[in-house]
Amino acid sequence: MFGRLLWRLLRGNRGRLAVALVSVASGAAVISALLNLDFDIERKLTQEFRSLGANVTIARTGAARGGDLNALTPGLSGSPVLMDQDVVLHQMEQARTPDVAAAAPYLYIVARAEEKPVVVAGTWLDQLPKLEPTWKMQGNWIAARESEAQCLVGRNAARQLHVEPGGPLELNYLGRREQLRVAGVIDAGSAEDNQVFVTLPVAQRLAGLPGRIEIVQVSVSGTAGGISRYASRLASSLPGYDVRPLRQVTEAEGNLLNRTRFLIVSMVVLILVLTALCVLATMAALAMERRADVGLMKALGGSMSRILRLFLAEVSVLGAAGGLIGCVAGMALAHWLGQRVFGTPIQPRWEIFPLTIALMTGVALAGALPLRLLGSVRPAVILRGE
Amino acid sequence: MFARLVGESFIRNPRRKVLTAAALVVGMAVATATLTVALDVGDRMSREFRSLGANLLVTPQSDTLPLEIGGIDYRPVDEGAYLPENDLGKLKMIFWRHNILGFTPFLDVPASISSTMGGAGKPATLIGTWYEHAVSVPDGTTFKTGAKSTHPWWSIRGRWFQDGSNECVVGATLAALHGGELAIGKTIYVSPSGLPGAPEPLVVTGIVSTGGAEDRAVLVPLSVAQRLSGHAGSFRQLFVSALTKPADALAERDPKTLTAAEYDQWFCAPYISSISFQIRQVLPGTDVRAIRRVADSEGRILSRISTLLWVVTIAALVAAGLAVAATSAATILDRQKEIGIMKAMGATNTLVAGIFLAEQLMLAMAGGAIGFVLGAELARVLGASVFGTPAEPHIILLPVALALALVVAVMGSLIPLRRASHFDPAPILRGE
Repeated sequence: MFGRLLWRLLRGNRGRLAVALVSVASGAAVISALLNLDFDIERKLTQEFRSLGANVTIARTGAARGGDLNALTPGLSGSPVLMDQDVVLHQMEQARTPDVAAAAPYLYIVARAEEKPVVVAGTWLDQLPKLEPTWKMQGNWIAARESEAQCLVGRNAARQLHVEPGGPLELNYLGRREQLRVAGVIDAGSAEDNQVFVTLPVAQRLAGLPGRIEIVQVSVSGTAGGISRYASRLASSLPGYDVRPLRQVTEAEGNLLNRTRFLIVSMVVLILVLTALCVLATMAALAMERRADVGLMKALGGSMSRILRLFLAEVSVLGAAGGLIGCVAGMALAHWLGQRVFGTPIQPRWEIFPLTIALMTGVALAGALPLRLLGSVRPAVILRGE
Repeated sequence: MFARLVGESFIRNPRRKVLTAAALVVGMAVATATLTVALDVGDRMSREFRSLGANLLVTPQSDTLPLEIGGIDYRPVDEGAYLPENDLGKLKMIFWRHNILGFTPFLDVPASISSTMGGAGKPATLIGTWYEHAVSVPDGTTFKTGAKSTHPWWSIRGRWFQDGSNECVVGATLAALHGGELAIGKTIYVSPSGLPGAPEPLVVTGIVSTGGAEDRAVLVPLSVAQRLSGHAGSFRQLFVSALTKPADALAERDPKTLTAAEYDQWFCAPYISSISFQIRQVLPGTDVRAIRRVADSEGRILSRISTLLWVVTIAALVAAGLAVAATSAATILDRQKEIGIMKAMGATNTLVAGIFLAEQLMLAMAGGAIGFVLGAELARVLGASVFGTPAEPHIILLPVALALALVVAVMGSLIPLRRASHFDPAPILRGE
């Protein structure tokens, strides 16, 4: 009986209800799109921050290079600067999380090319584009970690050593020689412009230090808290090593992230208020129009609580339906916005569905508050048409 | 007559207008606040990005390859080129001088340090720099700058060295390695590697933690590093922190290929490329380059954040419009009976619509103005809590808010008014 009454009520007022539904649904669409954007924004922005390069480094505790150039050259094997590649990389593999965007071990030596001293960095060349997405490359990146015959040269180094992409480069370190081919020239806008990048085994062979590395650079996405948690977890599994977040990057990241989120959240709250106001007005108008119906029902002997239940049910159905339709539209909107703003679609968050629907139903019910006034409706007056 | 009708409607029945007026005020307040914030956000976020430090690097043009590993140049002091310190004031004379927020010269000196006079030295690098240094600008003013503005993440225990005094600050890792020898208040003796001369005593005034190579070095005033290395008035590298505009199509192009008008536009926009061009003009013989890691990330993230914010602003505008339209519509529906009476007394549809629109217009003007004031205040609070400094109100937004209020209020009343024009007064008055 109740259900049939409700159904009739909804069908009988299709025109007005459609207007209310559109209003609720558009409010729900805006809110769910923004909530979705807001939930995802942190992940998206932290990924963007990875273009700042490595933010965690692993080195030997207390390791300090000598200030003397000659001290850099021979006899590094006994130096406390160096770490055992297998130990560190094994522990890193153990502590690996999906947040680790890229990681690469480095071994630095000062070798000679054309009799000029130059810093040679031995690393995993395939990780460089991910570790340093802002570097500009003239030539090609090296995709395979095993291509030992190839190297990358910094812009200044290329100019001074007179090499260009495709050309040969001979490195010489204490009489050990390596013949390489330049795959590309890097424009980094920093100290790396003065360096030559070779694969790690080549640098280790040149230095005569197989299996040794000096530093590991890791690019971890996430909030400042997440990054330092990762660093401390890694540090606890690597006693005697110094694992630390790069303060320059993590601090600025945290700062910017917090501010952006706060800004967006406060704007979303404002929009929520406006949307609630919009739905409230629609519902109030709907409720006021129902006065005549209430009068009739009362005259026919309906109890007030029952009549109220009926109208509240109608309003909740409206809120829920509008919320659902709006949510679907909002998800599509968020998807499109994500594509436009970040270039990748926003992950739909399913928890937004119940949240938005509950919110819309709540606001709709609040909008129906004027229904309370209907208790004082006297059927005779209403039916007389006053 | 018309004016009196509208006036009476306002005086006799203010309750009915409250909802629309409230929606207008709230809606326009939110619109004003979000627009104010969105207009300012690029500039403010760009300032926030300066906490990443310098975005331009100045080096001598004809230089040997720096042997820089992990941020420290290991070249001997007699190798490579230097730049004169005296020219630095000119940086504050370029077209975009106000966008130069700070600059810090660096001079690395390989040295050995010991805790006693003539004791056995341990190798360490001295980094000569400024922390807070007053630079005299050719226009007669002075500009205070140094690592404090270009490297804001450096944190110190104790205090920084006094500019020009025989003091130093020790990196945290180095200090931990040498225990008590490098504690605050101790005196250390430094002598540059490969150069003759008696070791120079320096008092340790603080322990610095930077998260970078400086943690393993000794930071000294630039003048001390210059004296020790025998290169008075010189430095090797200059870090410049400049407020820039994210690069766009014009900024990407080679300045040499631009037409005269485009060139002017490029020169007069704070692109990182035009600022580095201007620095190169005042510091001849230098190579000025954008630190890609910082500059490119900044441009990319900034443009994303501001796009995002505009999206949210548009959403706020739409929500404000919807709210005002919905309340106007509800109010007019609520007044059906009034319309019925007017029509029964012979009012034409045009007159009815005219009266209601005039009412909406007055409401929109009042609501928009109050909303603008509230919104400016809201933006001030929002700006203060997000960025620490309040967002200044843009007076240009007042007409925008008024026009917007007008449009949404009228739009909101059009549909119900159109419906009202079809009303037959008789059933309405009968109460159906």
